[in-house]
Amino acid sequence: MEAIYDIISPAAFWTTLLTLHMLASVALLGAVTHQAMAVLAPAPRGAADGFLTRFRRVSGPGYAGAICLLWIVAFVLGGWIYVHYRIYVRVPIEAEGYWLTLGAFEVKEHVAVLGLGLLPLYWRSWQRARDAGYAAARRWTTGLLAGMSWLLFLVGHVVNNVRGFG
Amino acid sequence: MQDPPDPPRGRAFVVAFAVLVPAIYTLCEMQNWPLFTYHPGTGRLDWGYAPAVRDEGPAMYWYGWVTNSLGGGALLAGLAAAMAGPGRARWPLWPAWVAPLVAIPLLIYALRYYWRF
Repeated sequence: MEAIYDIISPAAFWTTLLTLHMLASVALLGAVTHQAMAVLAPAPRGAADGFLTRFRRVSGPGYAGAICLLWIVAFVLGGWIYVHYRIYVRVPIEAEGYWLTLGAFEVKEHVAVLGLGLLPLYWRSWQRARDAGYAAARRWTTGLLAGMSWLLFLVGHVVNNVRGFG
Repeated sequence: MQDPPDPPRGRAFVVAFAVLVPAIYTLCEMQNWPLFTYHPGTGRLDWGYAPAVRDEGPAMYWYGWVTNSLGGGALLAGLAAAMAGPGRARWPLWPAWVAPLVAIPLLIYALRYYWRF
């Protein structure tokens, strides 16, 4: 870390890492929400070509690889930031007594791991997009990953609001 | 156009991994069984569980739980895949999404200390 800090200040480094984590999370959230809508509530044939119809009319298989990659990237970046969080963010939040916020963050770190466990089946179910035997797996894994992504994003947003940068 | 045949070993691996990761992770979290403990204040690693050292900052167990669950899950799922094969019963898929749905309330319950405030 010292070699990195010779080039960039610690505050700028951790802010950059947090921003990259956030960007990966936003991309993941958008992709998995599109795909979940397409598989759980597909646009009916002949539906008017409005925003919601177009939102749901994406090709699910085309999203699977990007979603797996984004989940892993966001997880690795989040795991790296976690070191900084544990000392410089969590300790002050504990001192302020925001226990619900801390508990919600603990749930976030657990759910992120459970999502990793689902990725191989999720990937396989979308690789076999025409296999009716995997239809339930596609719906469940995509729906779960979408729900998890929203939870992870919202909790991260709240924790960031509580502590802020720096 | 149809998908190619579903290889039983690959199917067994993904289902077993999806079940084992939440199972091992939940067990490790509730029993506090990390593979190693990381002390971010000093950068020190200890095997297994180690308490925080006075005046050296907190101890982190999450990395040790993640390593246990992903590493152990991959190893055991690999064994399950090796035992699966032609002529064996096909693994059902549904336990893969039931496992995290069971794990989440257990993990939330394990964090009950935080919900009293």
